[in-house]
Amino acid sequence: MTMDRSVWWAVLARSLAVQGSWNYETLTGTGFGFAILPALRRLYPDPAALDAAVGRHETPFNSHPYLAPLALGAVIRLELDGEPPEVINRFKAALRGSLGTLGDQLVWAGWRPLCVLAALALMVAGAPWYVAVLAFLVVYNIGHLALMMWGLSVGFSEGRYVAERLRGSVVRHTHGRLMKAAAFVASLTFALVAVAGVPGLAAPTSTMATVALVGAVAGAGWGERARRVGFAAVAVLVLIGVLAGTMV
Amino acid sequence: MTGWLGVALWGGIVGSDSTSFPQVMVSRPLVAGAVTGLIFGRPLEGAVVGFLVEVFSLTTLPIGAARYPESGTATVAAAAAYSAVAPAGLDPGYLVLALAFALAWERLGSVTVVLQRRANGRMLIRATAMAAGKLERRHLAAMTLDFLRGAALCLLGGLSGALLIGLVGPLWGLDSGPTAALLAVLAAAMVGTSLPLFSGPVKNWLPVLAGAAAGILVAMALLP
Repeated sequence: MTMDRSVWWAVLARSLAVQGSWNYETLTGTGFGFAILPALRRLYPDPAALDAAVGRHETPFNSHPYLAPLALGAVIRLELDGEPPEVINRFKAALRGSLGTLGDQLVWAGWRPLCVLAALALMVAGAPWYVAVLAFLVVYNIGHLALMMWGLSVGFSEGRYVAERLRGSVVRHTHGRLMKAAAFVASLTFALVAVAGVPGLAAPTSTMATVALVGAVAGAGWGERARRVGFAAVAVLVLIGVLAGTMV
Repeated sequence: MTGWLGVALWGGIVGSDSTSFPQVMVSRPLVAGAVTGLIFGRPLEGAVVGFLVEVFSLTTLPIGAARYPESGTATVAAAAAYSAVAPAGLDPGYLVLALAFALAWERLGSVTVVLQRRANGRMLIRATAMAAGKLERRHLAAMTLDFLRGAALCLLGGLSGALLIGLVGPLWGLDSGPTAALLAVLAAAMVGTSLPLFSGPVKNWLPVLAGAAAGILVAMALLP
């Protein structure tokens, strides 16, 4: 059994808004209900049956937003196969944790910073601002939309077996390579910034470039703690800059 | 006036993109800043404000119900403020002030996100077991609210930022060279903080060393 193309596209488009009503009670539960509606309308032409089906899908749910189509596709398949509501609810509950963790690792902590860092590196290397911005948006969203489209298709074709398919998928095995690429681009970017400076501003002297490189290594070692030091450093810099001006 | 209307509209789009719709990352500081600058006819300045906020936002991950600074709307506000009051071109002193303002404003942004989520919860709880049409209306209402939140946050932030930076900017007393160098040190250190995200610098030591070497070589080739 296949999903009507118009329904497939409607679910995909709506899944871009799956977090539209994010709240602390149902998380993305109502967003899930909103996204699956075109499929439910096709499956349940009777209004009472439709409302009952909608009610089943307003329950708490959460996943990474880019992997929500995977859950949507699988749940549509289960609805189509006539699985009982309890089975569908258990399936959704089982899926949400793994989709959240996988998406966070793959996208938020991998693909997104990789693309952002590459755009920053482009800017420091002298590319016009619009090249950096457009390159980022195009490359990032090719990955973003490809993941969503893949998720909806695989979810629908695999149904209840989607977790097994996910374990053996390219997406799962991409993580290691993504981390290596991102580590390369991150260190390329910090070295570029340290030596060439902030885009459009004068490059630092060799002494300051060395300080910047040491700062970057310290940042890499300290991680989140260095970020807090960075916030404090900005505040101190503001204070010094203003004091220097008022004392002249 | 048209510029500030543009800021409100763009702020709504950026605010929505962060979580609600469509998460295509126009809410990243680099993009948000460049487009804000473009609204004021100063895209490079906006992009550089975005660049600076971006390096501070690399390790912020929007995971689950975590409360995190909203850097996109803060960048719109800071870039608008910079574009409105800074002298022509890139002024390092004003850039530091715009960065400081963005880092403070993003905290307020995170508070509004929490309030928005609570409001969504109340709106949806009142409508338990919704019919299909009602569910769609409530969901779209929540998205509209998020758009308005972003618009208001950016407009208010841009105007108050312009006022603050306009007042403090002329007092800046450090020369451009040292200020630019200190910004580079800060930016490099903040980019460095992203390395632990990628399994850490020790596990991936080979790509880290290769990247650093390539970065230094490229930078030296670019310098006059």
